[in-house]
Amino acid sequence: MQNALALAAALAIGLPAVATAWAQGRIGPAASAALSEKPELSTTAIILIAIPETMVILGFVVAVLILRGNM
Amino acid sequence: MIRMTRVRIAGPRTLLDRTLRVLQDLEVVHVVRAEIPGAHASPPGREARRLRRIVEDDEAALRSLKAPSVASRPSVEPVSLPRAAALARRTRRRAERLAGTLSALEDERVVLLRYQEFFAAFESLLEHELAWPDGRAFYVVLRAGAGDAVRRLRTSLDAAVDGQIEVLPRPLPSGETAVLILASAEVAAKVGQLLSASRVQELPAPEGLGETSLLRALPALRARLTEIPKAIAKYEAERRAVREAVQLELESLRTWLHDRLLVLEARAQAHTGSHLFVIEGWIPGPELDVLTTRVLHELGPEVFVEGVATEPWSRGDAPVELANPPLFRPFEVITRTLPLPRYGTIDPTPFVAVFFPMFVGMMLGDVGIGALLVVVAVVLRLRSRPRTTLRSVAAVAGACAAFTVVFGLLFGELFGDLGARTFGMRPLGFDRQEAIMPFLALTLALGVVHVVLGLVLAVVNAWRQGHRRQALGRGVAALMVTLTVMALLAALRLLPHALFTPLVIALLVAFPILILLEGVIAVIELVSNFGQILSYARIMALGTASMMLAIVANRMVGAMGSVLVGVLFALLFHVVNFAIGLFSPTIHALRLHYVEFFGRFFSPGGTAYRPLTHWHPSEQGG
Repeated sequence: MQNALALAAALAIGLPAVATAWAQGRIGPAASAALSEKPELSTTAIILIAIPETMVILGFVVAVLILRGNM
Repeated sequence: MIRMTRVRIAGPRTLLDRTLRVLQDLEVVHVVRAEIPGAHASPPGREARRLRRIVEDDEAALRSLKAPSVASRPSVEPVSLPRAAALARRTRRRAERLAGTLSALEDERVVLLRYQEFFAAFESLLEHELAWPDGRAFYVVLRAGAGDAVRRLRTSLDAAVDGQIEVLPRPLPSGETAVLILASAEVAAKVGQLLSASRVQELPAPEGLGETSLLRALPALRARLTEIPKAIAKYEAERRAVREAVQLELESLRTWLHDRLLVLEARAQAHTGSHLFVIEGWIPGPELDVLTTRVLHELGPEVFVEGVATEPWSRGDAPVELANPPLFRPFEVITRTLPLPRYGTIDPTPFVAVFFPMFVGMMLGDVGIGALLVVVAVVLRLRSRPRTTLRSVAAVAGACAAFTVVFGLLFGELFGDLGARTFGMRPLGFDRQEAIMPFLALTLALGVVHVVLGLVLAVVNAWRQGHRRQALGRGVAALMVTLTVMALLAALRLLPHALFTPLVIALLVAFPILILLEGVIAVIELVSNFGQILSYARIMALGTASMMLAIVANRMVGAMGSVLVGVLFALLFHVVNFAIGLFSPTIHALRLHYVEFFGRFFSPGGTAYRPLTHWHPSEQGG
């Protein structure tokens, strides 16, 4: 049971982390390209890059809940 | 946000320029196109174009003379503008010529100094060149790390020209190898081809010395290196003399020209008839009496000022000037990253000033990191000038540091659990390591407060703009979010369970009203509100991650075998944690504001309040 919970927690954070990395990997170059032409978009770029991080952050919260909920 | 009043100033056309100069001295009127039927704007004409050309000459001359920038030089109207223009033009030409000569000399000196290193190595080889009077010398430099390149070069050349060469290498301080290749006249051409084919680059004698042989170029190069500093000193002295002679005059002229151009731009907005002029603009409400009195005093009763109306908040074209108390003003740096809010809407700066440092402090929540942040804030403050962005950033960092220390005390953290292990530090609130669920609940509760506050501000905004229906809709949405949260709390028995049924009934009543007021789209917005409340869980997630990293750093001390290595690793981890702590919480606190909070009520698109003022070099790129 403990092993299954640990695996679940790992998946809860691991899968969103991969998804976040994939999304940021696409947003980052696009944001850089936009900033090279319009530096005034820096705030928008930061927000756009930060948005996918919600996935891994919520994944982290879920992982903590999985582990802590059974301690 | 300062309430603006529209003013109209009218008088005889002959007094237009004097009136504009008085307005420029007052520095309060944001001049706009006069709204008079049949009036049309006349763009700044020939005079403005001429003045711009003179400004260009003046500023280019000052730049080329390397005149130190002066904060402000009084504006002095030239006695004769053509003479001043000629002075600016003449000085520009002379200063640019001097600057060009000095730049060329510097470049030449740099190039020759670069050559000097190679020449020093070749100098000892040059006597060999004398021993081959009929031959040809090749000077090559082999790059550092080329291994046995010299041996391979010698072997291949020997084989190609049957030993009619001599290869003499010398190491250079840079790690490269200087190589002198002496070849007899018969094989010189072949050696040249071989070097070219194998991409070994020859070092040419420096240009400008009139010599193609390094042997003969060397004395000339040394002589030139002695001459250049003298020539530079001479031209520098000439530039200094020119600067001392004209700097004051050119700077005063520049200020006058910019002042005059600003007046001409304002004049282009005014309506001028055959006898009268009319200027319209916006001023902060309380300045109307000052303006009226000053105009009467300076220009007499022929020019009069009237307040068109104290415009209602819905007036969209009024300029925007944010007015926050000194405590909140530095946080305008966060608000100003976005376009200005529209006139009459809410300036979110005071809310940012409360919530932004609170979020950052809650994420970091460590007395040690807070203390380091105080140091960063103090350094930024000491290195910044008043009223600059950096000074504002220093103030924001100071507020974040204060909240970080406060939350650090509440969580009982000093560099993670170091305080607890060393001094027996205890949390005044709760331990984040143990009480993860209460921490999550706290951050979500904060999310509810922030999102509902955003909805309430949206109600105020819509009401001020006269959109009563929209205001009611947003109000119902705010109410429904609050009721839903309360119903959840009642279901979880964190509120009296008896409240659950009345709360659900209230929700069922509010739901059709919301759809009636805002349409079906309101349902999606309502659901998105809950999604955005969940987004505040990032405060707990980042806070927990930061704390865990600090604890892992502290465990390094005992886990590495050697205490010294452990301490070094621990310090490294804490430095990494601090560096992450500077960026990640800032970005996420910004995101929570820009997306979750501003998204509820912020309406960008305001025009900045830019009164007709005197020219200030620091503000206008001078």
